[in-house]
Amino acid sequence: MFSGVTALTLFDLVVRSMRKNIKHYYLYFFALIFSVTLYFVFATLQHDDSVVARSGGSMGSAFAVAGILLLVIAGIFIIYANAIFLKRRSREIGLYQLIGLSKNKVVRLLMIENVLLSSGALFIGIGVGILVSRLFLLLLMKLIGFDGVISVSFSTTAVVQTIIVFMVIIGLTSIQMLFTVYRNTLLNLFNADKKGEIPKKPKSILSAIVAILGIALVVFGYWLSGRMLNEMLFFNMLAVLASTILGTYLLFRVTIGWVLYKIRASKQGHLGLKNSLSLATLMHRMKGNANSLTIITVLSAMTLTMLAVAYSLYYATEKETRYALPFDYMIEEWAEGHLTDEAISLEQFESELTTAGIDYTKTKLELLAVEGVYEKGIFPAVVGPRQFLANSYIVNASQLQEAGLAVEIPADGTLIYHDALIGKFVKDIETPFEIDVTSSNPTRTFKAVKYGEGDVINASAGSQLVVNENDFEKYKQEMVPESMEDVFEEWIVQTVYALNITDKNDLAQASHIYTQNCDEGRSCGIDYYSMYENSLEGSGLFIFIAGFLGLVFLISTGSILYFKQMTEAEQEKQSYKTLRQLGFSKKEIMRGIVRKQIFVFGLPLAIGLLHSIFAIKSASFLFVSDITVPTTIAMGVYALIYLLFAVLSVGYYKKTVSEAL
Amino acid sequence: MNEQHIKQQSVLHAQNIKKSYGTRGNVQEVLKGINLHVQKGEFVGIMGPSGAGKTTLLNVLATIDRSTAGTILIDGDDISKMKDARLSTFRRDKLGFIFQDYNLLDTLTVKENILLPISLGKVKKKEAETRFNEIAEVLGIANLANKYPHEVSGGQKQRTSAARALINEPSMVFADEPTGALDSKSAASLLKTMEDVNEQRGVTIMLVTHDAIASSYCSRVVFLKDGMIYSELYRGDKTRQAFFQEILKVQGVLGGDSVDSI
Repeated sequence: MFSGVTALTLFDLVVRSMRKNIKHYYLYFFALIFSVTLYFVFATLQHDDSVVARSGGSMGSAFAVAGILLLVIAGIFIIYANAIFLKRRSREIGLYQLIGLSKNKVVRLLMIENVLLSSGALFIGIGVGILVSRLFLLLLMKLIGFDGVISVSFSTTAVVQTIIVFMVIIGLTSIQMLFTVYRNTLLNLFNADKKGEIPKKPKSILSAIVAILGIALVVFGYWLSGRMLNEMLFFNMLAVLASTILGTYLLFRVTIGWVLYKIRASKQGHLGLKNSLSLATLMHRMKGNANSLTIITVLSAMTLTMLAVAYSLYYATEKETRYALPFDYMIEEWAEGHLTDEAISLEQFESELTTAGIDYTKTKLELLAVEGVYEKGIFPAVVGPRQFLANSYIVNASQLQEAGLAVEIPADGTLIYHDALIGKFVKDIETPFEIDVTSSNPTRTFKAVKYGEGDVINASAGSQLVVNENDFEKYKQEMVPESMEDVFEEWIVQTVYALNITDKNDLAQASHIYTQNCDEGRSCGIDYYSMYENSLEGSGLFIFIAGFLGLVFLISTGSILYFKQMTEAEQEKQSYKTLRQLGFSKKEIMRGIVRKQIFVFGLPLAIGLLHSIFAIKSASFLFVSDITVPTTIAMGVYALIYLLFAVLSVGYYKKTVSEAL
Repeated sequence: MNEQHIKQQSVLHAQNIKKSYGTRGNVQEVLKGINLHVQKGEFVGIMGPSGAGKTTLLNVLATIDRSTAGTILIDGDDISKMKDARLSTFRRDKLGFIFQDYNLLDTLTVKENILLPISLGKVKKKEAETRFNEIAEVLGIANLANKYPHEVSGGQKQRTSAARALINEPSMVFADEPTGALDSKSAASLLKTMEDVNEQRGVTIMLVTHDAIASSYCSRVVFLKDGMIYSELYRGDKTRQAFFQEILKVQGVLGGDSVDSI
């Protein structure tokens, strides 16, 4: 049969063309392998017994959501890489048709190639994935504070899942190839690598208006992002996103082109080599690059924000836990019979601590329930209309100091206001304000002079008013329990004991004693260490997933820019040849190219960073603590890895310029 | 300037130039010992059938390629001993180039292209502007200054390329088949301009071509065959027509390769 012969020759052609064009293939091949590996690692972790066992379903669903995101990014990345790959080979595809291969045959040829490449990538990618997934599992377990021995098991499910997912993606790239062959004329195919637009003289007034509008939209987005916390929070968030993204697009599509045009016009033809190689080539591709630069900028901003928030959460875990639980343990002195089955009595706890040889301090604290009215309009809208004190206590500053808490002692008639729950939202609450205490006779007005950090008692559901000894005693005398209708009788005057473990290394053991009656996986009688472990698990998982996705985003965006620059370098090879013939040295040419790279890589990074700084600022209510340090570290690491791609790109240009002559 | 004086100055002095390609065992000698002297103000044409080594010779003389043996002096400087970086500077300062494919940078306007060679030099902006205006006027492209290469015709592109070759006031201009991609009318017009530039401004030009008409504009034509100089013709006081006939005769003897690129 004829077809048998044809298939064989086609296959030969494929093998030959792949061998000859390794340079073109490796880029696409790399994109495929990279995506397969990361997806497989993710799928492995998702199905790993030790991960699933760690915290039931919650971790699994977090992985599932992240897995979908990962898939979308990997899909886009592969399709983009394939588009670049096809564009570079369009001449070859045209040539096949020119020498008489039918479109069907060319498609078949490309399909065979794609299947070969993809199965190779799947094979290698899964292989690499098996090797590195253990590494990632170790990292994840370390992040969530698990010290036990872990073993990663080979997951058939993960393999099957990866193969199915990538079959779909391969199907998509095949359709892409189909389109390239059927939808393009020969002429298009032959001219595809010569593309580049001619910078038109911008219509001065309109361009100027749109150019400024771009900046204005971004600035408006930034401005609004600082004022989002009101009833229209959701609407505001959408407005900020829309305004910033549209502004970014206009920035790349119009503003930058406009500025470049102005600069160039001012040179009156005396452009110089550096600008010829940067400014002029940039202007030539601004229109085509606007979309990808916008996407890369927005993606970078998102990734940076996600990473910075995740790292800050992780970084601040200890501090944030301390805000809610200032003492290692706080045990109430219950009347006999109130003790629940699960909690442990103070006596038992103390005796077991002593047996175990764990040193601790114990301080008695008195909590007096209080009701009252706030001065009007002190709290921002996001906290809700707070009028009355609820679940609140008056606490004695001297007792707190004795228990080892660093609180100031307020003057007579004044108090320091503590409320960790709303603290995140009211960092810039205006002090002083007044609180009318109504649960005493006579009623008294206190002046809240300061907003204190965190809570001063463990696991409080309301505010604490810290007053000095004098005021404390006075209130104790004047308090009218009957007036407090919303408070349980036994909670009106409470005596609690604050226990702190002297050597914090003993905390784990102490908490083990404290929670001995609790069921597996349930936290009862909230203590600092258990809470910390719990949060660490959450924030560790979050930083892991954010870091993983961030890495994928980062490498995808970096690679896309790098691939684009590779293509540009090849398109401009003739220019470099001419310049070298004219007598410009490699060094001089490289200077111009480096300037272009600074622009191409630096601008999305710089704008992305700026966006994310404002995003993080507006999200800073999530944190009670200062997050400058973790944010800076996260951004620094991101920028460093990102700039590696710029270095790679410069290296590629260097090679191209060297080979040009 | 004194014409006699100009004639005596040698711009290019090439002695026993050899160039071979390939590795041991499979060496192909393209240039087999060429001696060539070009005086200041000359318009020298290099002709020969394809494979004779025309372009190789031009590349070697123009410092784009290195000779295997021999010495080349341009303006008294021995370029065969220069390092690459020094050669680059030398090319930029002393030489001008016109290529068959124009080799203009698509991303630059006509004016920006022309000013490129002096963009890194010590030429002041005002001086550069003066030079540009003057050369653009001579080449008839002053009104195209702000157009991009794709917006102008082939002939205008080649004029732009010529202007770029002249902007640094080179000691010598090398032109490699500058009319190869032009229609006959544009070609004639460009060659006439080059002739004028040569005569009126005293610019030394070396033109490589396989086209007898193009070389008839030269003041001297050197014929290459198999990597050697075959013969030389001086135009002297002859008309261009008469010179053209003479060139045709030599070409006939050489192997009549007027269809070399087809």
